[in-house]
Amino acid sequence: MKTKINILILILLFSIFIYVFYYALSSNTKNNPQVMVNKKLPNIELTSLFDQEKKISLPAKSKDLFYIINIWASWCVPCRDEHSFLMRLKDEQKIQIYGINYKDSSSNAILFLKNLGNPFYFVGLDVDGKNSIELGAYGVPETYIVNSSGIIIFKHVGPINENIYQKIIEIIK
Amino acid sequence: MKNWICIITFISLIYFQSTSASTNRELEIYKNIRCLVCQGQSIHDSNSDFAKDLKQIIKNKIDANESNEIIYQYLADRYGDWILFNPPIKKTTLLLWLIPFSVLIIIAFALYKKTIFKRE
Repeated sequence: MKTKINILILILLFSIFIYVFYYALSSNTKNNPQVMVNKKLPNIELTSLFDQEKKISLPAKSKDLFYIINIWASWCVPCRDEHSFLMRLKDEQKIQIYGINYKDSSSNAILFLKNLGNPFYFVGLDVDGKNSIELGAYGVPETYIVNSSGIIIFKHVGPINENIYQKIIEIIK
Repeated sequence: MKNWICIITFISLIYFQSTSASTNRELEIYKNIRCLVCQGQSIHDSNSDFAKDLKQIIKNKIDANESNEIIYQYLADRYGDWILFNPPIKKTTLLLWLIPFSVLIIIAFALYKKTIFKRE
């Protein structure tokens, strides 16, 4: 009887041992750009690109179920590539997009939007990159979908392509 | 005159002491923060935009008298523990360390009991 209990204890200990090691090996300890997903959007204050007097704060008080935040700059070549997708999101999906203009010259940013179209409901300045870091961004371009409760439900690092566009539609529909 | 020299020396000593302390603290933190857009560099070694932004934010937080722990937590909340070269000990990490030792202790105890039993 005693030997049986000892064997059972040994098996139990061994199972715990294997479980802990397996869990530690399978958990992602490396870089994970999705850390901010399912977290509340940090509070940030944005000054308008077009009017320095106009300020808004995020998370936005939106009546819609979702809104998008896009970090961009006129000097960023991939931002130029993804711009048509942002225009499509605004025109076809009628979703509000908040732009964060990262470390850019205001005149270049305004010219960029004049030439390629303005998909943004509001464009805020991020002169020193502080707002982007607050969001957990790595650089430009980056896109976030936020729900009406202010929770980040999707994050994409890099330019939006057809696949990502479809994914975004899938989420917001 | 002597008094004035003493006062100026005292003030400048305090000033240089405080600035060097702040710089040392900045350096200590910069060296423990991984530049996530670079290859295996800390933000101290990197000149990327990402590293520059982080350095500025850390500097502001130090100026605002925030502790190292709060600064590390702020960054880990946004980028995960991977951003820290020296991540905090978590429950799972602690378990990984404790399990082999506890197994060793159990084996040692079992062996000890067995030898005692045999002697008796």
